[in-house]
Amino acid sequence: MSGNINFILNKELISADLNPATVLLDFIRNKKLTGTKEGCKEGDCGACTVLTGEINSDRDEVIYSAVNSCLIPVQNVNGKHVVTIEGLNLPGKELNPIQQEFVNEGASQCGFCTPGFIVSLTGYFLNKGILNSGNVIDSLDGNICRCTGHNSIIRAAKKISDKFDFAVHSNGTRYKFLSENKIIPEYFLNIKDRLSKLNTFDIKVSSDSGKKSFVSGGTDLFVQRPDEMLNSEIIFLCNDSTLKGIFLNKDVCTIGSLSTVTEILESGIMNDLYPGIINFAGLFGSTPIRNSATLGGNINNASPIGDMTALFLALDSNVILSDSENKRTIPLKNYYRSYKTTERKPDEYMECLNIKLPEGNYYINFEKVSKRTYLDIASVNTAILIFMEKDVIKEIHLSAGGVAPVPLYLAETCEFLKDKKISRENINKALEITQSEISPISDARGSSDYKRMLLNGLIKTHFIKLFPEYFSEGVEL
Amino acid sequence: MKNYDIINHVRGESLFIDDINIPDGTLYATVFYSPLAHGKILNLNLNEALSLPGVKEIITYKDIPGENQIGGIIFDEPLLAEEHVHFIGMPVALVIADNELTARNAAKKIKIEIEPYPVITDPREAFKKGDLIVPPETFSCGNTENAWDECDIIIEGECDSGGQEHLYLETQGAIAFPSEGGGLKIISSTQGPTTVQRVAAKVLAMPMNKIEVEVLRLGGGFGGKEDQATPWAVLTALAAMKLNSPVKLILPRHDDMVMTGKRNPYSSDFKIGLKKDGKIIAYEASFYQNAGASADLSTAILDRTLFHCTNSYFIPNVKATGYCCKTNLAPNTAFRGFGGPQGKFVIECAIHKAAECMGLLPSGIQKMNLLKEGDKFPYGQKALHAQAINSWKAAEESFKPDEIRDRINKFNSENKYFKKGFAFMPICFGIAFTNTKMNQANALINIYSDGSVSFSTAAVEMGQGVNAKIREVVSRVFSVSQEKIKNESTNTTRSANTSPTAASSGADLNCNAAYKACKIILDRIKHSALEELNKSDIDKIEIRDETVYYNDIRTNLEWCVLIERTFHKRISLSAHAHYSTPEIFFDKSINKGTPFRYHVYGTSVIEVTVDCLRGIYKIDSVRAVHDFGESLNPVIDLGQAEGAIIQGLGWMTIEEVVHNKDGKLLSDLLSTYKVPDIHFSPEEMEIKFLGIPNPAGIFNSKAIGEPPLMYGIGAYFAIRNALMEFTGSNDFPYSAPITPEKVFLYLNSKKAVFLSDE
Ligand SMILES: Cc1cc2nc3c(=O)[nH]c(=O)nc-3n(C[C@H](O)[C@H](O)[C@H](O)COP(=O)(O)OP(=O)(O)OC[C@H]3O[C@@H](n4cnc5c(N)ncnc54)[C@H](O)[C@@H]3O)c2cc1C
Ligand code: FES
Ligand code: FES
Repeated sequence: MSGNINFILNKELISADLNPATVLLDFIRNKKLTGTKEGCKEGDCGACTVLTGEINSDRDEVIYSAVNSCLIPVQNVNGKHVVTIEGLNLPGKELNPIQQEFVNEGASQCGFCTPGFIVSLTGYFLNKGILNSGNVIDSLDGNICRCTGHNSIIRAAKKISDKFDFAVHSNGTRYKFLSENKIIPEYFLNIKDRLSKLNTFDIKVSSDSGKKSFVSGGTDLFVQRPDEMLNSEIIFLCNDSTLKGIFLNKDVCTIGSLSTVTEILESGIMNDLYPGIINFAGLFGSTPIRNSATLGGNINNASPIGDMTALFLALDSNVILSDSENKRTIPLKNYYRSYKTTERKPDEYMECLNIKLPEGNYYINFEKVSKRTYLDIASVNTAILIFMEKDVIKEIHLSAGGVAPVPLYLAETCEFLKDKKISRENINKALEITQSEISPISDARGSSDYKRMLLNGLIKTHFIKLFPEYFSEGVEL
Repeated sequence: MKNYDIINHVRGESLFIDDINIPDGTLYATVFYSPLAHGKILNLNLNEALSLPGVKEIITYKDIPGENQIGGIIFDEPLLAEEHVHFIGMPVALVIADNELTARNAAKKIKIEIEPYPVITDPREAFKKGDLIVPPETFSCGNTENAWDECDIIIEGECDSGGQEHLYLETQGAIAFPSEGGGLKIISSTQGPTTVQRVAAKVLAMPMNKIEVEVLRLGGGFGGKEDQATPWAVLTALAAMKLNSPVKLILPRHDDMVMTGKRNPYSSDFKIGLKKDGKIIAYEASFYQNAGASADLSTAILDRTLFHCTNSYFIPNVKATGYCCKTNLAPNTAFRGFGGPQGKFVIECAIHKAAECMGLLPSGIQKMNLLKEGDKFPYGQKALHAQAINSWKAAEESFKPDEIRDRINKFNSENKYFKKGFAFMPICFGIAFTNTKMNQANALINIYSDGSVSFSTAAVEMGQGVNAKIREVVSRVFSVSQEKIKNESTNTTRSANTSPTAASSGADLNCNAAYKACKIILDRIKHSALEELNKSDIDKIEIRDETVYYNDIRTNLEWCVLIERTFHKRISLSAHAHYSTPEIFFDKSINKGTPFRYHVYGTSVIEVTVDCLRGIYKIDSVRAVHDFGESLNPVIDLGQAEGAIIQGLGWMTIEEVVHNKDGKLLSDLLSTYKVPDIHFSPEEMEIKFLGIPNPAGIFNSKAIGEPPLMYGIGAYFAIRNALMEFTGSNDFPYSAPITPEKVFLYLNSKKAVFLSDE
């Protein structure tokens, strides 16, 4: 199949009939823009990082995010500005301040990873001062450099970060400031105009004809079966604006299935409801993955180690499914049937997730352990939402990932702990029940014994972290 | 001192193999490899794959005109499997098609039937069965048998160190082009262009002069492209010759990880005898090296393990034996350190175990036994200009271990679930290929009539900055600005019969060769200048900053003018020179000699914090005093040290190569094999330059590539020490990498488990 795709690649307008499932990396490299590299084609190295920019209607300006071009289908950049390293280079041989600092610090050795780092850093500086997106080093959490060990890169990044005061330039003047300081070339100033003239349209999903698969961010599908995607009947959800956004509605919070992990964890609404939720962001993938990965994708990929899934299981949420005519609601804790199988029928897609607004005295926590702390899939993850009345647990929701064929809601453990006091004894008893609820297997992420014990350890960690007063440990966790 | 390569890197303009503009009609290849680790091929059916539109050809061993043999040291490795397969990932056939996708799809349609044979993945098991690639090798000095009696305490133990995936960010690849007269040009991402040329000639039954190998730069090598870039280059060459068309092969990451070997895992036994005060009297070790399915470089790697089995220590009685064990894994290969790290890990385990048993500080034993000037290594070479003690003392002065210890004790007494630990790690590493004949290089210098200069050497640039160092040398000898100097690609028609760029010696060898070539031309230019100036004393001519001086007085004769006139006088402005490392030799029959030109030393201190609830850890700081000699380029040398250290930390901690019992690699993608990321980097990294000139190095410099990796070994012991703080016992096994899983399981096996024992 072929569709008409329009976007701006650096300065150039691309308007072409492309297989919409072509990954952006292949398209870019075929255009002989070879600064964008392929290191893994699975989102794990960052050598392929590019920026995508789109007009944000709230802010009335173009907002850029770093993404892995190896996983993003060209359909998903329709109507956007795509920026590669070539699009950041100043005319002539002049180096921009980021590039210059890399040279000064020796922050590049073989050079293969370098364009990806420069692009990620530029993405950070483009947003700095307007979006709450961690520190400059966090913005490089999706880029791997095997040569330098990253220390020289850290030095370079900090130097540039200290050099410019981005914060003072908010809407309107920011791009001018960035371009005057040569962080971006001048042509960026016209991009908003050019984008607004691009021919794109909102496409409402219609899922009439049987077996097709849905693509949201593509960060699972294009890792799992990139070649197959080229010949599949797929429905791209990305152009349906009704699937976007996070809203409060009376006693319910609605999160559109296309919301990205970044959007969810940085959302004001979510952080008001669940203070500190933003701190879990770093544990999910990397900056570029979080910018592409959607809630709908995470829930429906049905992987037992989905981190958003674990979190929302504990938040006691409901899945809203639609087949473009009828809708139905299924509690997330009842959504998973068996390995990678959900209650969803083939022609249904997830529209959003609803969560009942929590009230009273409640706490949340999320724990995840993986071989490498960042940009790694969990060996085990778990989330907790707990409502307290004095020292009694009024209501508790616990989830666990990596310990069963499906993401688990620990129903019996929760049932046991309800109306109990927090004590060593009760927690230890509850953990015995937990052990009977799980059935981990041994794989590259750990032996089954490890996963069993680790889940116990992490559930204890929830309590020690949330209620240190009961455990007289007084440690910062 | 700029690194000119970086300017192109940061703009994304440096070309790697996959970026090269190739002619229309270039064909793409994919390797079909064995799905089983050991067995006999009963049937190979290519029909369905061949019938796919766009498939041009499928090549098997039958298509090889010459020898089906790529082994470098021992001829035991076929390019393509014939009757038997020996590891999962062993190349069986090469599919060539119009485009990559078609080639990949066709490879999936190849059917192979294999009668399975028993699979061995463990080196000790191979040893028991007698599956050794070469007979055992022993290095010894003194007499351990007699020495045990002199010891107050004797400690024995066993330890393991794991494999390590190179994870060069650029995967393996090559493009081969037919050239006129039936020859071939191969562009390869290899550390050893001559190796590729030699093996291609053998496989294709062609003289070497018909094969030109060119290397632009590598996106990282780390040893993984020393021998193991060869098969891909030779396969494309074979296809290009057969189809008379350019053929390109870039390994997808997964194929690269499955088909190529890694750092050799080792399992070792040690026995160490000491005096009460910590003086080491005797040391014995047996190294069971997991070589994989064929020799590759493993025998040489094992030699280096033996060379470095006593690290920076002087031990009068040593006996170390290495067993090169054949298993059904991809042939393991060179990886930064080349067996040295594996050897050092064992002696450090022995020292730590001894210290724990004797109630001494490990650092006390380490310090007491450091090599002194003139001490002999077990292989007979004397430690000259030894910096082991100097660097240790400098580290103590700069980093104040007593303060670290107090700070850590205070932290540990105040924190129940978080524990800190630290460890010292001294290093000593010999510089030269231990195979003496490989210590040679050559360089071609051209000065063009406009005064610009180019150099072309045997060195392959892979990020280590070798070209920047050569440029520095050329610029110093001619006293011309670096802007005037350009490096050329590495090419076998300009640099023939070269050794691979490896063993940390690329800069030493090639800078020296370039130096010699520059001197030849300089001499001619000086004579020419003498003539131009109408003077007579050649010793009074000097070029400074592109101007000729006579007798210390500046003349009007500028570099560019001088060059042009020299050219007009029909004097050659080009020179080719060869360098071979002096004074080294090694007698293999007794394993004694002076194999190394010099040694590199240093001392590091590593601190960590373990989160005992979650079983994870953080490397807090790495501090080191390193013996850089007089650095030719401090930015490059610091970067090499930092990068090597992080690789060493990764090897010891989170980098875990996992195979199942069928020999299948489970850590076969970046999502399952984790290398250090930006958050892994220690918050504090302080590397001090010891700053003592090296009389045996070019401009008093020292080699840098490999040695600092071995500082990383300290992280294993620092984490182990922190665990002891939590559990109060010292029985954590001597098994690296010390993964979060091992840490958590260990903590949980102890009574100290939180929330239950109070
Ligand atoms: C490098 C890397 C790191 C990662 N790290 C993490 C991590 O730390 N934690 C984690 O949980 N995950 C991680 N992931 C997995 C992945 O990013 C997430 O699962 C992500 O949320 C998937 O969202 P997506 O929109 O990209 O999914 P897609 O690939 O678009 O889709 C995934 C699946 O969901 C289906 N689907 C998508 N949207 C809908 C919908 N609205 N209705 C019905 N079905 C739908 C698709 O058909 C497909 O089967 C990582 C992935 C990569 C590549
Ligand atoms: S190629 Fe590695 S993240 Fe895209
Ligand atoms: S410079 Fe080689 S991977 Fe970063």
